[in-house]
Amino acid sequence: MIENELRPKVNEFEIQGTNFSDYQSPLFIAWQLNSICNLECLHCCEEAGEIMPNELNREEVMDFCQQIVDLNIPYVAISGGEPMMHPDFFKICEFFRSNGISLKVETNGLFINKEVAARFGKLGFRSVQISVDGASQDTFEKMRIKGNFKKVIEACKFLVEAGVNTEIVFVPTKFNIHETGKLIDMSYDMGIYGFYTGKIMQIGRAGQNWDILCPSAQEYEEFFKVLTEKEKQYAGKMKVYYYPYDVIEELKYRLEKPSASLLVIPNGKTKLIGPLPFVCGDLRKSKLSEIWNDYQKAWKKDEVISFTKQVIENPELLKEANKWREL
Amino acid sequence: MEFQKHVKVRQEKFGAVVFETLREKIFVTNESGAQILSLLQAGKEPEAVTNELSSMYDGDPAVIKKDVDEVISTLQESGIIKN
Ligand SMILES: C[S@@+](CC[C@H](N)C(=O)[O-])C[C@H]1O[C@@H](n2cnc3c(N)ncnc32)[C@H](O)[C@@H]1O
Ligand code: SF4
Repeated sequence: MIENELRPKVNEFEIQGTNFSDYQSPLFIAWQLNSICNLECLHCCEEAGEIMPNELNREEVMDFCQQIVDLNIPYVAISGGEPMMHPDFFKICEFFRSNGISLKVETNGLFINKEVAARFGKLGFRSVQISVDGASQDTFEKMRIKGNFKKVIEACKFLVEAGVNTEIVFVPTKFNIHETGKLIDMSYDMGIYGFYTGKIMQIGRAGQNWDILCPSAQEYEEFFKVLTEKEKQYAGKMKVYYYPYDVIEELKYRLEKPSASLLVIPNGKTKLIGPLPFVCGDLRKSKLSEIWNDYQKAWKKDEVISFTKQVIENPELLKEANKWREL
Repeated sequence: MEFQKHVKVRQEKFGAVVFETLREKIFVTNESGAQILSLLQAGKEPEAVTNELSSMYDGDPAVIKKDVDEVISTLQESGIIKN
């Protein structure tokens, strides 16, 4: 999940301005562009598949892009659903890149052939992240229903050949966790720039399929051991990044230190953070600059604080994440 | 001084924020650091940055040079600008 990655690594020239409210506008936009998807992954936190009612139309989408540029927001991550199924996917990417915005895309990779990879290559993305949840066809396709392992690996190769900073994202589950090390080795052999992983979140379809998906404590222990070893093995050659916190630890941290980012869902509403149900803005009703102010106020509301504490006490409540609550 | 490819700098009320988006690292600096950054971003060499700031503030060039050098070495160590 993209918003996790912005937990600041404290490393300042001088300790100032580290509070999210000190920034004039967000530093990062995590944008779920659409909800439609060609796959039916068992773990999908977004429960993607169908078009969400009332998604932003093409004009509204471009208006939002312009607001991002006007507010001088440096970094955008586009996800979905499957973002490459959006009719204006490349138009949006071209717009951001021509305005110098750092851009990352998360995709299942199934729409990337040689020509598409070359198009990505020309745009100078910060990165294209491909979800590869397994090192073999069998495990991959067990989790990524309707997926195609061979095609996705081919997509990674096309992107690398086209000079794109290509990253692999791996979500561990009971099905595939034993293949972690093998997939990291494969990534390196393919010339991948970075390998990203972290614990699966109990949200959306993952919540519904938790018993068959969630790795055991012992499996996780082995997983992190493998990651530590691989991180050392590939130091200076390929980035092996793993997010050590689970979603509950993340929420505890965020309650104290919300991130300087906004999460925008396909209908133009802005969520406080993926694992919570709270909606703090609507691009159809307010300007992005106003939503940024509302976001800051929202984190201080009693309703948010008390519900977040309840989720921390009782992670079952993560099931509410996609049942939006307007603030 | 060349900035790394995926680095973004934004001026803020408190100074500036530097976002190294490739490693997703955030750095912040105060107003004087922000001024040095903005001159470097405009393509000025360190010496020109020192001269410009010295004339702007009528300060001791040796002290200003030290500040500029310090900011540049921090930027290099943090992978913000190329060595
Ligand atoms: C929701 S998908 C959208 C982009 C694209 N369709 C894809 O699969 O890459 C974004 C990322 O979230 C990951 N993801 C989905 N459900 C998750 C869960 N329950 N926990 C952690 N990551 C999850 C996916 O594997 C993917 O890497
Ligand atoms: S994880 Fe991505 S590819 Fe899989 S169903 Fe969700 S949105 Fe689609």
